[in-house]
Amino acid sequence: MGGLLTEPFLVSLLYGAVTAGMPLLLAGLGEQMSEKAGVLNIGLEGMMLVGAYTGFVAAYHSGSFWLGYLAGGLGGMLTALIVLLLCIRRGLNQIVIGIAITVGAEGLTSLLHYVQFSRSYPRLAAAPVLALPLLRDVPVLGRGLFSHNLLVYLAVALVFALSWMYRSTYLGLSLEAAGNQPAALDAAGVDVVHTRSLAVLCTGFLAGLGGAYLANVGAGIFVPFMTGGAGVIGIVLAMLARGRPLMVMVGAALFGASLAMTTALQVAGIDIPTDVVQMLPFAVVMAVLVVFGRHSMLPSALGTPYTRGER
Amino acid sequence: MPRRRRVIGSIILAAALAGAVCPFGATSVLAAQPMALAIMLPEEPTDYGWNQQAFEAARDVAAKYHWKFMPASGLGYGDVHAALRELADDGASLIIAHASGYNTAAPEIGAEKHVPVAIVDRPNESRPGAVADYTLSGREGAYLAGALAAKMTRSHTVAIVVAAESPPWNTQSAAFAQGARITDPAIKVLYAVIGPAAYADVAGGRRVTESVISAGADIVFGQGDRASFGIMQAVETKATGSAPVWFIDQLGDKSSLDKGHLLTSVVWNLVPVYTAMIEDLKRGTFGTHTYSIRLADDSVRLLHTTYIPARIWADIDALRTQIVSGALKVEPVWDAASVRAMMSSVAAPPK
Repeated sequence: MGGLLTEPFLVSLLYGAVTAGMPLLLAGLGEQMSEKAGVLNIGLEGMMLVGAYTGFVAAYHSGSFWLGYLAGGLGGMLTALIVLLLCIRRGLNQIVIGIAITVGAEGLTSLLHYVQFSRSYPRLAAAPVLALPLLRDVPVLGRGLFSHNLLVYLAVALVFALSWMYRSTYLGLSLEAAGNQPAALDAAGVDVVHTRSLAVLCTGFLAGLGGAYLANVGAGIFVPFMTGGAGVIGIVLAMLARGRPLMVMVGAALFGASLAMTTALQVAGIDIPTDVVQMLPFAVVMAVLVVFGRHSMLPSALGTPYTRGER
Repeated sequence: MPRRRRVIGSIILAAALAGAVCPFGATSVLAAQPMALAIMLPEEPTDYGWNQQAFEAARDVAAKYHWKFMPASGLGYGDVHAALRELADDGASLIIAHASGYNTAAPEIGAEKHVPVAIVDRPNESRPGAVADYTLSGREGAYLAGALAAKMTRSHTVAIVVAAESPPWNTQSAAFAQGARITDPAIKVLYAVIGPAAYADVAGGRRVTESVISAGADIVFGQGDRASFGIMQAVETKATGSAPVWFIDQLGDKSSLDKGHLLTSVVWNLVPVYTAMIEDLKRGTFGTHTYSIRLADDSVRLLHTTYIPARIWADIDALRTQIVSGALKVEPVWDAASVRAMMSSVAAPPK
């Protein structure tokens, strides 16, 4: 594999790993917040897909990646409104509604793509990159890890901000209580429905943002079904991360790195069946997170609608 | 009376034998009116590739025979039993199940509803009168594309990026590598699969293509459905003015979407295949043989773009003539392991 160790190739692999991991990170962080508050957001994939579509449309028509991100987040949030209204307010089954959201989002975005873009397939220019001073000069790592779109750095900062929020703030405590002891939270004078609603809207925004990043930076184009299960992987990451945002980031990074490794192994001409190579990202993430997260506890009220006074 | 009984018995026996040989009674199917050609597609026929080529060919063939055209698109890759039953109940005389994921359900429902079906990627599953396989290979065109790539590359490294290792794409990958090597024995041919059945993974297509370009490839032969747009995007955004990178597509013609990087395409035309299916139904030979596409009848052709210098195109045309005449044979390589064995690594010399 000696010939693999050229700087451009290694840079490309690292860059690709970060780009592939970013949508999972954002979606996983969002799902984690929902789950902490007791809402199982199975429709994460649908929220990502809507975010990918709205994000792409906004970026394409405005020429601004930031407007694209905003539109993507709002698209995801709008989709999450369905969960808010039907599951949190009306107490309908979260799994059924979640599946319906994903299927509906697939159909809706496919239809919209068909009407708007199926003959023209517009594509965006390369996303603007911010190279971090000093770090950008580190060989290989500088261009692979520290020369990315600004959203990447903001997402990493968000990981630490959420960690702090869950650990040290009243809001973090309220979210956790909404998932574990909603009646106690209610007795303490905090509105459980409002707390869960806030969490679900934030989930929608983050999932939509992840979708917008996938479409605008990862692909530069929107096509139907383009999330390809990223939302499901986001749910798995959130569940295995034991409520810790940092572990979601570790899982997303591992997944991205493993995807890059599959390309490296193939390009290196390693004689392993492609199916085995392609299993690598899923196997690595599952193995690592299961080992480190085997004591994980899901919130006791996860997936259960809350009605005041009901036992 | 005994003689009359023998005659009736003979007729019954003959009918039973005919039924055994031709289980769905192709003749009776064709006698039914009106005739209808149904095609099932996993995605919408707007991908400038697998779905669109099949849709347009089936539509044209249906029009040619004055058959009703019954398209069912965007069916996905999941369970299609219900869609198959619906098409059969709606009067389809032939159902073309245009995805490898349908090749289990289609023969089942075809047998249940007594409608002949055409499937892909199961050459050994053909049954006279009932099931015909049309696993196609545009390998002759891919061979020419490989030769063209070898003549056009400046880095002497080309790459093949595929969304999945389906048998038709395997043959094209192998032929591309053979065509490149016959032209430039020292050329490196890199090979990468985007993911398992990554037909719509545009982000993956872009990521993998950017990696092979970084590994030195300046011409990328992309085989994917919608994922090919990710490959195209990578070529467009990764290329710089001083170091052009070219994209070679397959199945369809994306010229109208090109931003200056589409070198050529191995274009498929399925009209001869679907025409042959209907003729076979008429003759009662449906399901007795497989179908193919080839340079000789232009069911496979290499797209001639303005980026190809006339001198090089003349060389490619000469190579085409050799293949058409039979002087040069491009043998199919169907399995993925054999394809991978033909590729180079960035470290190792070409095998």
